[in-house]
Amino acid sequence: MVRLKNRYLLVNILYPELEDRQGRAKVPDVVEFNQPTTDAFTAGSLLKGLRAEIASMFGDYGSGAVAESMTVKYLSSATSTFILRVSRAHYRIAWAALSLMTSVPVKDGEGKNCVFRVVRVSGTIRKAEEEAIRRARELILKARREIGEKSNSTLDDIFGGATEGNIRPENTKEKDILMVDRSDSEEENEDDSDGDG
Amino acid sequence: MPPKMKSADSAGVPGNKKRKEAPQSSSSSQKGPDRGRGSKRVKINDARSIMTQASDTALKNGDLDVQSFLKAREFEIKALQDGIKKSKGGRTTRAFQQVPRDMRRRTASHNVKRVPKRLQRRAAREMKDDNTPTVDPSKRKPRSTRGRVRAETAKRLGLLAAKKRAVKAKSGGEVAGIETRAARPKIRKDKLNEAPKPKSKFRKRQIHKTWLPTHMWHAKRARMTEPKNPLWRFSIPLTSTEKSYRPTHRAAGARGAVAWDMSYMSTIGLEGPATSLEKLLKAMGITESWLWEEKGLKWRHGKRTWSGWLSRNVNDKSILIGPSTVFWCPTAHQTGDEPGVEIKKPSPSRIFVRIHPSAFLETWTEILRLSKLQRPAVHIEDLRFEIGSIDITGPGSTEALLGILHPYNQLEDSMEEHAKTFRSLAGVTNPGSLPLNSMLAFSIMDPRLRYPPRPVKKPDRNNEEANFALLEMLSAWPVDASTGSPAIFDRDARFKATRLPAQKSLNRRKALEPPGDYPAIQATDPPIPIMLLTSRTAVSSAQGTWTLLAPWKCILPIWYGLVHYPLSTGGNPRFGGLQELRQVHFEQDVPWFPVDFPGTLSGFTWETEERAKRKKEWDKRPKGKRVEWDSLDLGRGRKGEIGLGWACDFERVLGVTPSPNSGNSDDRSLDAQKLSERLRKEPELPIDHVPKYAFSQLLSSKQAPQTQASQVTTIRITLVSRGIASPCARIYRLPQITSSQNPSATSSSLPVTTREQWLSLLPAISNGKPLPGPKSKTAKSTGRIPLKTPLPQRVRLLAQSLLQQPPLPFPANKEEEDGYPLVPDEEDLIGFVTTGEFNLAEGKGVAVGTVFVGKLLEGFRSGGKKGEKDGKVCIVRNAGEKIGRLARWEPV
Repeated sequence: MVRLKNRYLLVNILYPELEDRQGRAKVPDVVEFNQPTTDAFTAGSLLKGLRAEIASMFGDYGSGAVAESMTVKYLSSATSTFILRVSRAHYRIAWAALSLMTSVPVKDGEGKNCVFRVVRVSGTIRKAEEEAIRRARELILKARREIGEKSNSTLDDIFGGATEGNIRPENTKEKDILMVDRSDSEEENEDDSDGDG
Repeated sequence: MPPKMKSADSAGVPGNKKRKEAPQSSSSSQKGPDRGRGSKRVKINDARSIMTQASDTALKNGDLDVQSFLKAREFEIKALQDGIKKSKGGRTTRAFQQVPRDMRRRTASHNVKRVPKRLQRRAAREMKDDNTPTVDPSKRKPRSTRGRVRAETAKRLGLLAAKKRAVKAKSGGEVAGIETRAARPKIRKDKLNEAPKPKSKFRKRQIHKTWLPTHMWHAKRARMTEPKNPLWRFSIPLTSTEKSYRPTHRAAGARGAVAWDMSYMSTIGLEGPATSLEKLLKAMGITESWLWEEKGLKWRHGKRTWSGWLSRNVNDKSILIGPSTVFWCPTAHQTGDEPGVEIKKPSPSRIFVRIHPSAFLETWTEILRLSKLQRPAVHIEDLRFEIGSIDITGPGSTEALLGILHPYNQLEDSMEEHAKTFRSLAGVTNPGSLPLNSMLAFSIMDPRLRYPPRPVKKPDRNNEEANFALLEMLSAWPVDASTGSPAIFDRDARFKATRLPAQKSLNRRKALEPPGDYPAIQATDPPIPIMLLTSRTAVSSAQGTWTLLAPWKCILPIWYGLVHYPLSTGGNPRFGGLQELRQVHFEQDVPWFPVDFPGTLSGFTWETEERAKRKKEWDKRPKGKRVEWDSLDLGRGRKGEIGLGWACDFERVLGVTPSPNSGNSDDRSLDAQKLSERLRKEPELPIDHVPKYAFSQLLSSKQAPQTQASQVTTIRITLVSRGIASPCARIYRLPQITSSQNPSATSSSLPVTTREQWLSLLPAISNGKPLPGPKSKTAKSTGRIPLKTPLPQRVRLLAQSLLQQPPLPFPANKEEEDGYPLVPDEEDLIGFVTTGEFNLAEGKGVAVGTVFVGKLLEGFRSGGKKGEKDGKVCIVRNAGEKIGRLARWEPV
């Protein structure tokens, strides 16, 4: 029996265009960057938009290559995160299409301007999920730091104390570095170590 | 009710609907709606979906808000963690896939009964859910004609038996129910004995062979010899059905233990006055003088074994039979008692000779002949099916034996001295660390009383005193002062040991004991006499071997305990077949009888059989896909393989009877058995073996020794560079220096390869260790990149380390093949490889070969003047290939 080989792309949707928010409460940039996506953005609309993009960029070949395997495994509009499954041979096509999409694909037409950022490519969905958890934790810390807020009780539950929260970013930084000399190239780590940790 | 697909992954499964409906319709007729395949799919979908929130939860009244942002992230973290946990439960593995590899059985996916009990219920449920067809033994039909005939016979026999039973029941009420025990089977003196009569059910399968005591166990787990083609009249496990090459290598050398049922080894018992026995043994080739002097007293008093070659004399020429182990019955001797005074002793001495079954008949006839010549007389017994044995090697072997062999007398003061010593061996990780050839003889209780075996308590590693005491005991070996139990030499004791209580009664006794306790010994439990022998290889670091001798019928209960013993390093002892035995010998640099000794009768018989087998394999292949021996180009106009390509063609090298020889080879392929019989009748072998000690003497002697052309010896070959040598590979010596000066013998256009060309291939002395040297050095110099290094530096280091080691060119350098020196001529052919493959212990190609002593020494002496370095060098060329590879040899 032949095992079907897949890649799981963990993708974040970013909104880099800061809106003019006169009269509204000031929120940290991190929150604005990672703001929730509209509910009109569903798995179906994402696939539709992605397929259209692939078809325009790679033509029939591209759409045929990924048509079989492309599936949305997880989509959370509240956190603008999704996990996409593509076959191992053609995941770059999907990735390229994602990178070139500039707006949220919603059911009717186009939505807000945004950037799709593939943050992790992994061979198992589990690793993608773990990465998503790690990033969510990081974001919470960042948002908290920006508003200079005292740690609240729910965060204590997650991190098990305020002291640990200070250590964590350093740990994650080290993890990024450790991947450099990992010998197996089976997992293409697309971790950007550009200092967002 | 179709399951709701809320999760995202339902989007891309178009074919779902069609397949789902059938089981649902069938499940509706069952008790609930949630049964069958549909429910399983729902469960899987459920396990795989991850909870998500709508976007408005991350907003506050449609506007961005930090608190809701954080809440949404927290929810995501929890949901993902939950999803990871859930997906573990919803895995798609089936019950039979969870069974460890060594417990897997054939067709476990179709038959619930083939998975372990604890998984059977789950497997049954899965099969029902999946609608997997299952076997029904009552509806099974015989497929082949033979099977049908067998089934019919079984049915008829069953009817007959039922009729007989009915008659017996009718008349049985009147006749008193006295059951007589079967008579003790006789052991005839000076005559060959029959194998034990098998149960009628299995009798027909053992007409031309004998089963080992553990046959049933092995037949389920190992590939056995073919029914029509037994080995040495035994049905012997060849290799395990599971993958076992590397696991065996590990278990035998690093972690664990490997056990073999070696009951096929033949034992011959000798009984007579010590003087007669001495004369007999000397005539059998045990002539080493120290054995018969003061130094050999330990051996003659039954405290040590002797291992070495037996030989027989034919026309004043001694012919080697095979390696054997000889030991005396332990007897109480006053120290200082001289062997000469022993004539007055009323009880005669007894000796066991253990030999490989392939050499049994040869040994037996010779010993029988010699025993008749002795006055006072020596009687011999054929104990082949009386005494069985188990061999076990590996670091965990001592521990495993300690866990299953419990001395019969459990009380500390009544325990035999040997048993006490044995119990104190916990902590020994290499049986070779015991005194050389030591033996322990004592009685054990029925191993089934202590089944299942429990792990033995290991001594504390850090306890210096205990460790020291153990080492001291091993070196002083105080047990030599006492005499071991001679019970295994005693026919009665052996017979009593075989009358073990029934498993049923043991179970009853076990049930009566409180949980965790073993049943106590009763008077009806017979002691089992055993003997433990140790042996070690020439390489002191290699693992030694325990040999356990026990009555034939007691081997099975011991074996069950052994293979179920939980080792402290994890797992159980592995079992091995012939392949594994050969492999372990190979890795320990020990040639294996009979394969590596074609200079003996057994070895040559094996070789002829192998020839026939290889020829058959070769004949079977289509013409385009087999090696065409005749068209092999050896360069310089030399065409064709030397001799038969599928044989270690010693006859060709010797040049003996070339024309009848080729005719012979056809005979061989036709009927190997007939030939081996004929060989047995006429003791004329083309070659005869020279053992290692004699060969070493020849090697070290200054003047040119007198050797006969037919003398061969066994050498170990280590390839200098890459490549492996396979069986039948041709071994050449380096070409002679003189031969290059007068090329008149060979009319050729190409230049003759000289000795210098070959020697230039030898690696320089500076890096004496050929392959691993340079590699490991560079690896060490760069080493691992330290963890704390900052990223840019780390990248630089990585790049540096990559650039430092230029990889080997791929594909391999073409020049190597073409630029390789041509192999020498046929006159330099000195022998053949009998065993050769990649050696895991060495990490490179190693082979064991047999070479002609005269030719080897000739080459050795002519080259040896320059220095020892290039003296022990040879060239190995696989059969059917043109490339010769340089190798070093050493006597083994």
